[in-house]
Amino acid sequence: MSNQTIVQIQNLEKFYEKKQVLHGINLEITSGQIIGYIGPNGAGKSTTVKILCGLINEFQGEISIFGKDLRTNTLEIKKQVGYIPENAVLYESLTPMEFMEFIGEMRGLENEITRSKAEALMNIFEMKANLNQRIATFSKGMRQKVMICSALLHNPDLIFMDEPLSGLDANSVIMVKEMLIHLAREGKTVFYSSHLMDVVEKISDRIILIDQGRVIADGSFDELNKLSNDENLEKMFTRLTGNTNHGEKAEAFINAFEK
Amino acid sequence: MIKFLLSLFKPFRWFIEKMGADYNQFIMILQLKLTMDNRRTKGIGANAKKETENALIKQSFSQLMIGVFFAIFFFFIKSSFTFYFFFHSFLMAMMAMMIISEFTTILFDTSENVIIQPLPIKGNTISLARNAHVLTYLTLMSFNLSVVTIITAGVKFGFLSALLFSFTIFMNVLFTLFLANMLYLIIMRLASGEKLKNILMYFQIVIAILFMGAYQLSINMVDKTHISNMVLPVHWYTYLIPPAFFSGLLEAFTLFVFDIRHLIFIAEALLVPVLAIFFTGKYLTPIFNRKLMDLEQGDRVSKVKTETVRKSLWYRMMFGIFVRRKGEHAPFKLIWTMTGRERLFMQSFLPSLGFIVIMIAVQFFRNNTFNLDEIIHSKLYLLILYSFMFIGLTLPASLLNGNNQQATWIFKTVPLSLPADYFKGFIKAAFARFFVPFYLVISVGVCFLWGYTVIPDVLVAILAIYLVTTLFYYLQSPGFPFAQPKTASQGGMAFVKMMGLMLTAVALGLMHYFLLRWSAYAGLLLIPLYLGLIYYVNRIFVYKKITWEKVDEVNIYP
Repeated sequence: MSNQTIVQIQNLEKFYEKKQVLHGINLEITSGQIIGYIGPNGAGKSTTVKILCGLINEFQGEISIFGKDLRTNTLEIKKQVGYIPENAVLYESLTPMEFMEFIGEMRGLENEITRSKAEALMNIFEMKANLNQRIATFSKGMRQKVMICSALLHNPDLIFMDEPLSGLDANSVIMVKEMLIHLAREGKTVFYSSHLMDVVEKISDRIILIDQGRVIADGSFDELNKLSNDENLEKMFTRLTGNTNHGEKAEAFINAFEK
Repeated sequence: MIKFLLSLFKPFRWFIEKMGADYNQFIMILQLKLTMDNRRTKGIGANAKKETENALIKQSFSQLMIGVFFAIFFFFIKSSFTFYFFFHSFLMAMMAMMIISEFTTILFDTSENVIIQPLPIKGNTISLARNAHVLTYLTLMSFNLSVVTIITAGVKFGFLSALLFSFTIFMNVLFTLFLANMLYLIIMRLASGEKLKNILMYFQIVIAILFMGAYQLSINMVDKTHISNMVLPVHWYTYLIPPAFFSGLLEAFTLFVFDIRHLIFIAEALLVPVLAIFFTGKYLTPIFNRKLMDLEQGDRVSKVKTETVRKSLWYRMMFGIFVRRKGEHAPFKLIWTMTGRERLFMQSFLPSLGFIVIMIAVQFFRNNTFNLDEIIHSKLYLLILYSFMFIGLTLPASLLNGNNQQATWIFKTVPLSLPADYFKGFIKAAFARFFVPFYLVISVGVCFLWGYTVIPDVLVAILAIYLVTTLFYYLQSPGFPFAQPKTASQGGMAFVKMMGLMLTAVALGLMHYFLLRWSAYAGLLLIPLYLGLIYYVNRIFVYKKITWEKVDEVNIYP
């Protein structure tokens, strides 16, 4: 499956009423890669992910995933895709097992398979004991773990993650990072949208930086570094998004509330 | 309108500060709450962009209409004491209903704590603002319901009487709010945390049923021919009945009688509500706050055993009968599980089952007599069976209410081509879990009393109810379950819908009744008709009606 084109985006545009949030995005993503998709707040990261997952149907441009047109083959594509949204909101009156059973059944998995997978995945996060507790009683990190497990339940070939490490403890963060690297080695493609520059820098095979709905940098960290000579991704990010004057802004901030 | 409402608190600034609250912070919190109520989106999600800026005005209009309906009833009462006594009793009952059914969630809402608690705002300010929020709606509702009766009072008893009537309405509101606080504190002493939430839910359900029962009973008990000349006697205990305080004061100023009896009523009407609200603000509010904190903590410790419900024989039977398409399997299971746990659902739906029991009981005791022989030779069983049509309205709407707006993304990410399958699974599960067992029990009673010959009619009625319930569910906006927040400004449209449904029920019931008059087995003719209609609604109509485009218009996918 290596180097096979998994996602092809041509001239993707998105408007929210009259406001344009994506301005002609063009991307080609091949299999077995971890794509770090970064950008400042409001750059259009979550919108891109939602379009690719089939949550937003209205967009301009062409998208094909697994060689199929997203508009006409949404269902076929959804079968091979896993999604972890930015906000870990789940039906609180359900337990993780009930939630995953619902997802498993909707994805055509046998109930027994769903249950054994759910147990195995939750066990990795040391949450097997919580399988039958209501989600309402969980912390944000625990909910995030349920979300990660439910997205991987059907062994998807393409995984979209929008801030997947949000709320996780340090051990779980390390574990998820390792897990992503292993998934990529097995030929899975991970589309990883995040604000956490150090994580993106360490795990991504390719980094795509978007700002105001446009791709402004695209390549591996080494390739991008050769062009810019920034010591790390964070510096590169601040320079490319035009936010280098942080010191001045901090001073203005202090002045504003000291008045 | 919000500015006007806020300005009404200005004269009471001294009182609010005396209660230990910061007036400016109090007004800011209240303004925020009212603004948010008034800007609830009309649909369910952010995709439904039309905002109901005028939610308050629309709600007021529907309450005015209900007020007109009741004013006609009060118009014929000649005695001023009786007139005002009945009206204040009616108002207290309406307010108690409103507090219990609509405002409990607001009084117990702790969601804003995360924003407000880190700010330097005293607990008393927050609680007083919370009470003032409810007070604003209660006052508004009370005056909407009373306007026509106030005019009627002006015509019948003079301008001064009507003016003082308006004043006593406000005093009544204050007193009722105090009663609600007291009542909730007593319940809160009995339990805490998750257990308290469950007790509150069942308490709301029981109270709602009791009010419905009391209302039906009073309607049946009052002899309408004598109502115009009715004069309520005053006993020693009359001085302890709150509506009597207000009606005593009003009678004193209507007839200009200031004897000892009326002076006691005047003192009670003026002092009791003021002392009650002072007591609420000064002493009850801090306890209420402490208990609310417990309530919030309680959510962290609940554990549920799963799978027991799903594996029950009843579940498997209902699944076998109702679920036909593969796409409906998982939604059916999901809602079967969730309906037993979602409090808002149970709060809004379970009282309707109680209402049905009361409606049935009232049919048996019509005209204050109970003649079994007469009953079993009548077609009363049709009325009993068709009372269940009430479900057709409450079940579809109850499935919408909940605080899970952000959790609906899951329905969009899994591969399902026809969203109608979701909605079919949802309504079938709720119908099978909550309606069928109840109907079966009543049907057994009906067959026992009227004999096995009514079995076809029992079948016809359940088919008619199933048809109407599913049709109403598919006709309402296709919001995913338990994802529409219940707000303070939700109002009178339910009344209009209920009327529409009742008319449908009456029409279907009458059709059945007239067929039976023609022939004892003519009801059987309706079975193929309803089966055909159910097939059409559930196999053809629903797929045309509920498409992804329509579903996306009303749901958020974060």
